[in-house]
Amino acid sequence: MSFEDWFRQDRLPHIYCAGCGNGTVINCTLAAIDQMGWKKEETVFVSGIGCSSRAPGYILTDSLHTTHGRALAFATGVKMANPDLNVVVFTGDGDLAAIGGNHFIHACRRNIDLTVVCMNNQIYGMTGGQGSPTTPKGCLSSTTPYGCAETPFDLCELATAAGANYVSRWTSYHVKELEKAIRVGLETPGFSFIEALVQCPTAFGRRNKFRQVADHVEYLKIHSLLRAKRDRMIEKGEQIPQDMFVVGELTRRNRPATGVKP
Amino acid sequence: MTPRIEFWQGNTACAEGALAAGCNFFGGYPITPSTEVAEHMAAKLPKKGGVFIQMEDEIASMASIIGASWTGARAMTATSGPGFSLMMENIGFAAMTETPCVVVNVQRGGPSTGQPTMSAQGDMMQARFGSHGDYAIIALCPATVQEMFEQTAKAFNLADKYRVPVFLMADETVGHMREKILIPDKVERIARKSLASGALPFRAGEDLIPGFGQFGTGHNVHVTGLTHDERGYPCATNPKLHAALVQRLVDKIELARNDIADYDIINPEAEQVFVAYGGPVRTVQQVLHDRRGGDVGFLRIRTVWPFAEKALAQFKNARRFLVPEMNLGQIAREIERHVKVPVKSIPKLGGELHTPAELAAALEAKE
Amino acid sequence: MKLAIDENRCKGCNLCTKVCPYRIFREGKKLNRKGIAVPDLDRPERCANCRLRNLYGRQLCGVCQLTCPDQAIHWIEEEPYEPHKVAIEY
Repeated sequence: MSFEDWFRQDRLPHIYCAGCGNGTVINCTLAAIDQMGWKKEETVFVSGIGCSSRAPGYILTDSLHTTHGRALAFATGVKMANPDLNVVVFTGDGDLAAIGGNHFIHACRRNIDLTVVCMNNQIYGMTGGQGSPTTPKGCLSSTTPYGCAETPFDLCELATAAGANYVSRWTSYHVKELEKAIRVGLETPGFSFIEALVQCPTAFGRRNKFRQVADHVEYLKIHSLLRAKRDRMIEKGEQIPQDMFVVGELTRRNRPATGVKP
Repeated sequence: MTPRIEFWQGNTACAEGALAAGCNFFGGYPITPSTEVAEHMAAKLPKKGGVFIQMEDEIASMASIIGASWTGARAMTATSGPGFSLMMENIGFAAMTETPCVVVNVQRGGPSTGQPTMSAQGDMMQARFGSHGDYAIIALCPATVQEMFEQTAKAFNLADKYRVPVFLMADETVGHMREKILIPDKVERIARKSLASGALPFRAGEDLIPGFGQFGTGHNVHVTGLTHDERGYPCATNPKLHAALVQRLVDKIELARNDIADYDIINPEAEQVFVAYGGPVRTVQQVLHDRRGGDVGFLRIRTVWPFAEKALAQFKNARRFLVPEMNLGQIAREIERHVKVPVKSIPKLGGELHTPAELAAALEAKE
Repeated sequence: MKLAIDENRCKGCNLCTKVCPYRIFREGKKLNRKGIAVPDLDRPERCANCRLRNLYGRQLCGVCQLTCPDQAIHWIEEEPYEPHKVAIEY
């Protein structure tokens, strides 16, 4: 069995743009799920609205493609009503942190046994490239034509502060690490949050000087700072450059969880 | 259940009716005057192996009951005006994806925060048209504590049969009053239509109702709020498909309105006819009782939506319909569409029920 | 095994070219019927999975397949007696 068996073959090729990082993250998620040995009839995908959230439509399991931002609330209902189901949530940065912010922090607080894969492309891709709560300061988007004036969220810190059991961040360049991180998230009871920074060549890349897809992926690779290295830098008292982001397993703990399979 | 007599509050009866019907999931948020439903469910559901969860807001409450319903649970929530407004987007989602669920709205004075502890019936049109786009729903209106029990139980059956969100449009009067109630020994249960293995999850037969592909049974259903084809896959740019889908969602309920309809006809030969639902039913009953004659007709509606205009036609001699409502004539407007004789709306805002004297005066008044 | 790129799915983003640790791809020059320049297999003999999958009985590397956003990369059995350039490792 490989992760390819999980796709609805009659629905491929999908609607994602050429070089979209979402395709990569879906591959990694399905590879991790495949390794877990889960069966299709006991797995449910839930998603909100956006490019990331179109993913369940391509996967051959029961899936719920819900309203914008509310994926976690729907997933809570599914998981609490039937804890035997394995529930995985696909969501995006706008879906999770803007309109879905409240549901995000409460799902973390409840530590409900879900795995959330957030495809953070730092923009609202599907609707044409508007700024999102994770758009970096100064970046261009269709609603921030003079550069984004607001400070972005750090989704992983938010999840950690709100109480998630497992929080990890990787990019669409680090496919093997991402797959492993998702695997750990699936295994960990309680709320697992995996943030995957992805490239959006059409909406973000085009406006922010990434003319080729490979340039953006290169940027993601160069600006990722491994967690262990960051910890060493802090110990030595070195300054962490502003535009680097930390990748790796950021939080792992054993807080009491809700909705775990008995 | 042991058949017995109890003295209960309307909200308690509603929760008990749900439990009797097999409700096993409640996702809610406290709001006056429906909080007692949630509190009762919080105490009783876990004992019956069900799940109670207090969500972070009404939007999440509606979302959680839809998610639970797809795993096969009989799911319900309870709210009032402001929460009802918040739930609207997800109510549209439930209608579009044909998810069975029950929403109790114990109406209070509106608009906005309004009168949290006073009665009203101001959400009747909102129940039918609250979410964007065209769709159809079922709305029941209890007028007694007994009906709170029976209609909540019936709501689950209607929801499962027609795969639609069903609303129990109570008001604060019925929700908070205490009355004698007769508990039956059992409540009839109608199951969801099953989906054959390999069958398309959104293809409907003559009754326009598709089989239900419950999560976890190997059907691999993709449920989406986008316009979808019979396989459940999004096809949002296909005009004919969208028209057919929306038409089916509306016809599913509207064409069955005579089956769904539940009403009482009293004195069908009368010339002046009261039409009432919910709290004002009690006042009209008192007026009829005082007059002791068969000269005033009464159409007591229990299912306001879909509106069964056939009931109005049964009053062949009617020269005037009088509609007492605790709103500015929302259902009176609907009645006007269907009859040729004058319809007198008797609105009452402020939270108090109509008095029998007011209704008697309306009868005597020339217009 | 040999690596095959499904031309129905490939959209020519060349991420595989970028991420392959053995650098077996190079950017395509010719446009196919869809107008996409599908990457060429410059040095397929260096692909670890192609050479050693049957020996180890499980998938090796596979970074290109995981990375490809369009699920266009597969490995297929070679025809018998299909000529292949092989680099010998010690």
